[in-house]
Amino acid sequence: MTDLILQALFSGVLIGSVYALVALGLALAFGAMRIINLAHGELVLLAAYMAYVVESRTGLDPYMAIPLALLAVCALSALLFLMIDRIREHRELNSLILTFAVGIILTNGLLLLFASDMRSTTSPMLQDAISFGNVYAMKGEVIAFAVSLVLMTILWWWLKKSWYGRAVRAVSSNRDAAMLMGISPVRTELVAFLAAGALASFAGIALYTMSVIQPAVGHGLTVKAFIVTVLAGVGSIPGVFLAALLLGVTEALTVTLASSALQELAGMVLFLLVLFLLPNGLFGARARRG
Amino acid sequence: MAASSSSSRPQMGRNAGLVLGVLVLAALPLVLGASNYLLGLFISALILAGISLAWALLGNLGGMVSFGHAAFFGVGAYASALISARLGVPVLLAIPLAGLCAALCSLAMLPALRLSGPYFALAILAYAQIFRILATEATWLTGGAAGLQRYPGLPTIFGFDLSTRTGSYVLLVLLVALCALAYVAIRRSHVGTALRAIAESEDATRVVGVNSVMLKAWMLLLSAFMTGLFGALNAHIIGFLDPDYAFSGVWSVMPIIAAIFGGYRTILGPVAGAILIYMFDQVVAKSLIAVGHQILLGILLAVMILVAPNGVLGLFKRAKGGNRHAEA
Repeated sequence: MTDLILQALFSGVLIGSVYALVALGLALAFGAMRIINLAHGELVLLAAYMAYVVESRTGLDPYMAIPLALLAVCALSALLFLMIDRIREHRELNSLILTFAVGIILTNGLLLLFASDMRSTTSPMLQDAISFGNVYAMKGEVIAFAVSLVLMTILWWWLKKSWYGRAVRAVSSNRDAAMLMGISPVRTELVAFLAAGALASFAGIALYTMSVIQPAVGHGLTVKAFIVTVLAGVGSIPGVFLAALLLGVTEALTVTLASSALQELAGMVLFLLVLFLLPNGLFGARARRG
Repeated sequence: MAASSSSSRPQMGRNAGLVLGVLVLAALPLVLGASNYLLGLFISALILAGISLAWALLGNLGGMVSFGHAAFFGVGAYASALISARLGVPVLLAIPLAGLCAALCSLAMLPALRLSGPYFALAILAYAQIFRILATEATWLTGGAAGLQRYPGLPTIFGFDLSTRTGSYVLLVLLVALCALAYVAIRRSHVGTALRAIAESEDATRVVGVNSVMLKAWMLLLSAFMTGLFGALNAHIIGFLDPDYAFSGVWSVMPIIAAIFGGYRTILGPVAGAILIYMFDQVVAKSLIAVGHQILLGILLAVMILVAPNGVLGLFKRAKGGNRHAEA
C-alpha cells in the first residue's frame, strides 16, 4: 500500500510539472493584459497533436515536432492577441468570450481532423520504465519533468533580468506608468502572448509524451491551469510550481485510493476549499485578486 | 446600456406592441399547421431561448459572464424528474421546485462572487464540471451514467394535453414570455437602476450605500432559477435524462452564442438569437459537418465579438438611431 501511495505521489509530481507549464502560460498572458485566455488549454493540445502527427506520419521522435509546434502555436497566439487587441468595448467580457470562441473552434477543428480517438506516444524509448527505488516512471515523464524545470528557470531568469521580461512585469503592475517609462504596452503584451505560446508548445509536447490526448482534453487543461492559479494566489513562479504539484499529487492519489472517475472532482474540491478558506490562495498574501 | 437607459412612457407602449407582435409570431406555427418535426425544432429552440434569456440577464444586469449554465440546467432537469417520480409531486409543481433547487445550487457559487471578472467566469466553469461528475457518481440518486427514464411527462390541464407537441409549444412560449416580462420589470425597478450604476462604477456605487455583492448574488440566483425551470420543462418533454446530456457543455455554450448573436443587452435579442442559432445549427451546420459542427458556431461567435459585439439587434439600432447611446 505504501508503495502504491509513493508511486501516486511520484506520478503526481511528474504530471504536476506539466500543469505548471500550462498554468504559467495562462498567468503570463493574464498578467500582461488582464485577460484570461480560455483557449490556452487548446493551444497546448494543438502542440500535442503536432507531436502526434510528426510521430505517426514520419516515424520521427515526438520531440522533433518542437520547432513546428513552436511556430504554429506562437503564430496562433499572436493572431489571438491581434484579435483581442481589436476589441474596444467591454474588453474584459468580450475578450473572454472571444477566447472561448477560439477554444470552441480549435476543439472542433481537432475533432474534425483527428476524430475523438485517444492518442498517445508509441515510441518504445519514451515508454521505457525507469525505476527510482520502489517507484517507477516512464522515460517520457522524466524528460518532461526535467524540461519543465529548465523552462521555469529560463522563464524566471527572463522575467527577472531581460529587458522584455522586465517590461512584461512593469506592464503587469502598472500599465500607465510603464508607458511613461517608454515601454510600448502593445508590443510588450504581444511578447507576453508569444512567451505564453512557447510555454504552451513545450507543455503540449510533454503532455503527448507522457499522457493520453483527445480533443476534449484542451478544455480540461484550461480549467486545471485556472485551478492552479487560484491555488497559487498572487503569482510567483515557485508558487505556481508548488500549486501545480499539489494538484497533480491530489489527482494521482484520488485515482490510486478512490477511482479514476473522481480524478477531476478531486482537483475541483481542492479548488473550492481554497476558495472558501484561503481566498488569496496558498502563497498569496495580498488582498484582492483580479 | 443603450436599450435600458430610457424608460419613459412611450417606450412602454412600444414594448407592449412588441410583446403583442412576438405573440402573434409565436402563434404562426400553430395557425399554419406546422408538422410535428418542425414544432419539435421550435420547442428545442424555445428551451434554448429561455436559457439564453437567463444568461443575458446575468450578463447584462449582473455584469457576469457565465460559462457554466449547464450546471443549473442539469440540476433543474434532475430535480424535477426526481421530485415528480420519487415524491409524487404533480409535474407542474415540480418544475418551479426544480427551479428553486437550481437557485439553491447557485448559492454554492456565491463565494466565487468574491472573485472579480474573469476569475468568476472560470469558477462557474469549474462548478459546471463538478455537478456533472456528481450526477454521474451519485448513482443511488440519479441512476448514474445509465440515466433516468421512468418519470411522469407533462399533464393534461383543463382538457388541454400539454404533453403533445402543440401543448408543449404553447407552454414554452408562455414561460419564455413570462421570463422576459420579469426581466423587463427588474430592469425598470430600483434594483435595475442600482445594477446599472454598478456596471458604471462598482466602487462609487458601494460608497453611496448599495450592497453590490448582494444585488449581483440575487441576479445569479434568478438566472439560475430561470435556467432550472427550462431544464425541468425540457426533462419532462424529452422523457429521458443522463448526466452527459443534462449537464452537456452544449447548454453552456449555445446560450452564449445565441445571446451574443442576438444582442445580450436587449431582451428580444437572446430569444431571437436562440431560435436563429438553433435552427442554423440543426438544419444547416449539422448537414454540412456531422461531427464537430460546433466549429461553425465558434467562428460565428468570434466574428460577432469582433465585428458586432452588441449583436444583430445592436447593429439595427445603430443603423436606425444614429449612434445616440454610444457605449463607453
